[in-house]
Amino acid sequence: MSALNKKVIVDPEELRAKIKLKSIQTKTGFESKHTEASKYLKEIGLDLGKMREHSAKLLTAGAIVGSVALFSAPNSLAFLPPPNEIIEKYVNSVESPPALSRAIKLRNALKDILPGLLRPLNRDEEKTLEKVLQELTGVPVRAALEGEHLNTTYGKIGIEQHLRRYPGDTLSNHIPKGDEYGADKSDEIIKEGMAPGLGAWGYFAPSKEALTPNLIEIERWYAVVQTLYLPNWNSRQPYLKDWYKYRKVMIVNTKNGKAVIAAIADSGPAVWTGKHFGGSPEVMNYLGGPKYKKGPVIVFFVDDPENKIPLGPVEYNEV
Amino acid sequence: MIKWASCGILIQEMSRLFYDHLINLSKIEKLIKKHVKDSEARYEIYRLIDEIIHHRVIGCILDRLPKHHHKDFLNHVHKKPHDTGVLDYLKERLAEDVEEFIRQEIYLLGNELLELFVKPHEYDNAHKHNLH
Repeated sequence: MSALNKKVIVDPEELRAKIKLKSIQTKTGFESKHTEASKYLKEIGLDLGKMREHSAKLLTAGAIVGSVALFSAPNSLAFLPPPNEIIEKYVNSVESPPALSRAIKLRNALKDILPGLLRPLNRDEEKTLEKVLQELTGVPVRAALEGEHLNTTYGKIGIEQHLRRYPGDTLSNHIPKGDEYGADKSDEIIKEGMAPGLGAWGYFAPSKEALTPNLIEIERWYAVVQTLYLPNWNSRQPYLKDWYKYRKVMIVNTKNGKAVIAAIADSGPAVWTGKHFGGSPEVMNYLGGPKYKKGPVIVFFVDDPENKIPLGPVEYNEV
Repeated sequence: MIKWASCGILIQEMSRLFYDHLINLSKIEKLIKKHVKDSEARYEIYRLIDEIIHHRVIGCILDRLPKHHHKDFLNHVHKKPHDTGVLDYLKERLAEDVEEFIRQEIYLLGNELLELFVKPHEYDNAHKHNLH
């Protein structure tokens, strides 16, 4: 039997205490084994336990100054032509027949704009992508909206499970019916199962009766972003939690150009999973098909103050 | 070689570290999600594990790096903890495959974390389980 399926400690407080103890033991073990290095770390003011926060502060400070040496890997910074040139090349160019579809244009543009390795995009890259995406998909997207910015706009997305929408909600209630997305492949849609816990914003509705069609759509097309790692997440509450709740984003599979509008409904994944975003079973099914579990995407906010853009697939390639 | 972001800036940076791409403890996250239903409690555990990872990664590097390079290495980490150029710095000074031994250290850590979920009398060959 798999160890993952064995009976495990279910008391979350006991688990937290054990992991806390391990964290302390690891730290003291490090300090006793590497005494000189630990002393030096204190001298330079670097707390290993807070390395991620330290990194975020440095980079944010660099951004404020305006120009900073960010990465030393040779391909880590793309020096792009001005956005207008890129738009001209990929959006407005008149090709000899057969004309390229918008999906192919987008894929070609992404290939040129995005760096070879997954890394945070710089402002020029994001600006260029905003223009290209808006021209080709018709969706007004922004890397930064109302002064808010995700901790990355380019990273790996992983598949999530369905979320409980109200107390007593079960997986069978998530089986798509009629003309709902996935009704012809409902097994694919429910195979990931139901998440054992609630999303970061709790239930979508207090009861089944209170669940509106809009909330059903939000759970169907939900996205997970790493709000828990935003540098000022704790200090700017409750504003940020409210701002991100059900905030619309466009997720684009950078391999095939498929795009979907999703609503943020959970926080995660943990940074040590190699993933940066999550998508509901429906989001992932649309972006990459039934076997798509993980892959590179770009995630931009949708600028939709009047709430007119529907959640779900962006069928920009249709004539 | 250092390249400068001459024309573009980041407006709010993500908190990536130079070894993040070598870490994958997805199954530990899955277990935490299964057993810790409160989202705030989950996030605290995520942070604790992150702290453990930082110490283990830096520790396993210091274990292998000659002592006279320690300060220099820590200065690099202090100045640019996000920069994968730190790995290039290490590759020039270590015979061992740095990315491989970091992955191995995290694999060991994954098994140790897995033990925390399993009651002692039920723990047999959990450590052999693939954590990724």
